[in-house]
Amino acid sequence: MPLIKQHISKSIEQDQRKRERDCTSLELQLSDPSSAARRWAARDLISCPEATGALVLQLQQEDDSSVREIILTTLTQLGDELAVASLVGYLRSEDVALRNEAIEAMKLLPDEVAPIMGKLLIDPDPDVRISAVNILESLRHRQVEEWLTKVIEEDPHVNVCATAVDLLGEVGTTSAQEALEKLKTRFPDEPYISFAADLALKRIRST
Amino acid sequence: MKRILIVDDAATVRMYHRIILEGAGYQVLEAINGIEAMEKALQEPFDLYVVDINMPKQDGYGFLSDLRSRDLPQTPALMISTEAAAADRTRAYAAGANLYLVKPVKPDELLVHCRLLLGEVHP
Repeated sequence: MPLIKQHISKSIEQDQRKRERDCTSLELQLSDPSSAARRWAARDLISCPEATGALVLQLQQEDDSSVREIILTTLTQLGDELAVASLVGYLRSEDVALRNEAIEAMKLLPDEVAPIMGKLLIDPDPDVRISAVNILESLRHRQVEEWLTKVIEEDPHVNVCATAVDLLGEVGTTSAQEALEKLKTRFPDEPYISFAADLALKRIRST
Repeated sequence: MKRILIVDDAATVRMYHRIILEGAGYQVLEAINGIEAMEKALQEPFDLYVVDINMPKQDGYGFLSDLRSRDLPQTPALMISTEAAAADRTRAYAAGANLYLVKPVKPDELLVHCRLLLGEVHP
C-alpha cells in the first residue's frame, strides 16, 4: 500500500511540474481546484514581479492555510508597493489567523515597512496599532526603540502601550527609562502597566 | 493543588498571570501558543485554561475549538484578550470559552473569575 501511495504522490507532483510555468499560466493556476497546484503556482510566482495583484486577489478567497502561507511569503519577497499595502490591509482583517500571518510576513520586510510604520502606529484603530507594535517585535530596524518609546509616551490606549512596553523590556536601552517611568503615571490604575514597566526597567538597568 | 495552564505568546503577560495565580495557591504551567497548549493538554490534565486570542501558529479560537472537538474532559476556559468588541466575545464563546475578559486584567478580577470557573465561588 505505501508503494501505491508513493506512486500516486509522485504522479501528482509530476503533473504539477508538467504544467506551464510562464507567469500567465501560473496566475491562472492560482485558482486551480487542487491546493497542491495552487501552492506550486504561488511559490513559482516569485519570479513574476507583475503577479502581486493576482496573489492578493487569490489570498482574499483562499481557504487553505498552507496556500495562504506561501502566498504571503511570495508577497513578502516581491515586496512592492501593492504587496506592502495589501499586507497592511490584512492587519484590519477579522480573520485572526490571516492577521497573524500578515504580521509574521511584515516582520521580514524592514525596509518596506519602515516608511509606513509611523502611520500604522497612529492608525485610528487600536487593534491595528497593536498589530503594528507586534510587527516591531522582530523587525530589524534601527528606529524600533524610538517608535516604541513614542508609543508609550503618546498612545492613549492602554493595550497598545502594554504591548509596546513588553517589547521595550526586550529591546529597550537606557534611553527608554524616562518614558517607562512616565508610563506608570499615565496609567496609575492599571497594575499590569506598572508590572510590565518595572520589569522592563529592571532588565534595562541590569544590562 | 489545582492546575492552571496559561496560554499566551507574551512572556510578560504569562509572568504577571503566573505570579497572581501562584500567589493564590494554584499550580501554573505555561504555553506560548495553541499548538503547545494542545500538546500539554493531551499530556496531562488541567483544572482551568487561561487563554489569549492573538497568538502566532495557532490562536486562542483555534486552540479552544480543537480542544472542545476532542474526547477530553471539558475543562473550563477563561479567554483574555485585547479585543473588546462584542463580535470577539461571541466568537470566543462559540469556540468554547466559558468566560471572556478584556486585557489588562486586574489581579482581583483574574482571581475571582478563575475561582468562579473552578467552582470555588458561586455567582
